[in-house]
Amino acid sequence: MSEKFDVIIIGGGPAGLSAAYFLAKKGIEALVLERGPEPGSKNVFGGRIYSYVFDKYFPGWRKEAPIERWVRRERLAISCEDSTVTLEFRPHRGLDNKYDSFTAFLSKFVAWMAEKVEEEGAMVLTSSKVDEIIFKDGYASGVKAGGEELNADYIVIAEGVNTLLSEKHGIRERPKLETTALGVKEVIKVKKEIINERFGIDDWEGVAEFILGYPLLGVAGGGFLYTMKEYVTLGAVVRLSEIRKRKVTMKDLAELLRTHPAVKSLVKDGTLVEYSAHLTREGGLLDVMDKPYGNGYVVVGDAAGFLLNTGFTIRGVDMAVESGRIAAEAIAKAHEEGRRDEEALSYYKELLERSIIMENLKEFSKLPSFLENERLYNTYPKIICETLSAIYTTNERAERAYPALRSSMKRHGVGLLTLISDILKARGAI
Amino acid sequence: MMSEPKEIISVEKRLTLTKFNIHKEPHIVVDTSKCEKCEEKPCIYACPAGLYQLDENGKLVFIYEGCLECGTCRLICPYGAVSWNYPPGGYGVWYKFG
Repeated sequence: MSEKFDVIIIGGGPAGLSAAYFLAKKGIEALVLERGPEPGSKNVFGGRIYSYVFDKYFPGWRKEAPIERWVRRERLAISCEDSTVTLEFRPHRGLDNKYDSFTAFLSKFVAWMAEKVEEEGAMVLTSSKVDEIIFKDGYASGVKAGGEELNADYIVIAEGVNTLLSEKHGIRERPKLETTALGVKEVIKVKKEIINERFGIDDWEGVAEFILGYPLLGVAGGGFLYTMKEYVTLGAVVRLSEIRKRKVTMKDLAELLRTHPAVKSLVKDGTLVEYSAHLTREGGLLDVMDKPYGNGYVVVGDAAGFLLNTGFTIRGVDMAVESGRIAAEAIAKAHEEGRRDEEALSYYKELLERSIIMENLKEFSKLPSFLENERLYNTYPKIICETLSAIYTTNERAERAYPALRSSMKRHGVGLLTLISDILKARGAI
Repeated sequence: MMSEPKEIISVEKRLTLTKFNIHKEPHIVVDTSKCEKCEEKPCIYACPAGLYQLDENGKLVFIYEGCLECGTCRLICPYGAVSWNYPPGGYGVWYKFG
């Protein structure tokens, strides 16, 4: 059996669905092949989406998308064995704000995106796993999926972080241990009123917390916590090279986080409803494909390496949606010219270079190497905890902050020069 | 490297909460003959579902039921012993939240 489409999109995640949405809007026939039993059933992320990209391109989305809570507490927690230091940023913003982010469940959000795609007239076929891309005369011309062959003029590769197909066809190399991280996540059901009370927030307000130093002090990685309407999600992310070097037992990490003194009371009496795991790229610009296009194909989203880590926040969904939109632009132009060759599709890269995706990734290009500094995960959290502990521990003799800081630095072998040099390194990175 | 958590929900218990539609054929095949020379066996501690274990004879065993399809074992195995694929369309882990 052989059928021909304008465009076949491999993978129905945020990037693939975005490409389908924008192609359909331009009247180009797009078929999304998703291996999961329903859209979103294979997607996992931390818990936050940035809204600008939807404000721009999905009219009326705020009323219909499965938004959990709007983030109104940004917390950075530094956690040590016997204390936790938390910095909280609390913007005094109303509900409708364009510089915003919200918490969500990715499976549900992607299912909503799939509805929008179908409304625009593109097809989303679930339970359909692509085993191979068909190349004819050097051009990507179709796919083999579950014993069936489907043909198309253009292929959009949106296969996600595990780039099996791209590797198989020599389009990109396998992810490196040093720049790939494993995230584990738990979804815990807690009553809405209890969440509001424990976090001091309104029904629509949410908390996004990044936790440094725990679950495992000294391991390069971090924990995260997000509040949903009636769930709290918790997770931890560790680089694969670090897992191997430090022999980190990943199956126990979420457990350690949930039972940590600073987290425990927040999810008390909650019911665990889902445990998940997913890989993520952490290399920033290093993980971005030099050539995310070729004869008859383009690569979008995580598959192409479009994940932005700013050191404080991580942005994946908006980058994915934006890359899908740009891919649709490039394909539409090539389609109009009746071309499928890589020179025509190099327009995708040209648009990317001018886009917010590459602008952001370039701005943060020095971050991944900065984050390799082990002092960030062990020494500095300890110094911060110890200094504050000295200030806030009541003794007959009151301690001054500066000598407490210096003696803690001394204990951990950090001289002023080391500190200054680390601050200077931060200059270009964050 | 791990300290003992206080209120344990074992990974086996946690995996019963996540929904699966398990296919009769394993989607990951491990060539355990390659594991014999591997002293490190990082799959054992890296797999978030704890699906790589040692049997009573110290031989590596892998079960595919409960696989969260993250792809960690494929990348972390130092000997290329893991033939990794996704389950056939419609099968495997079925995230409701994600």
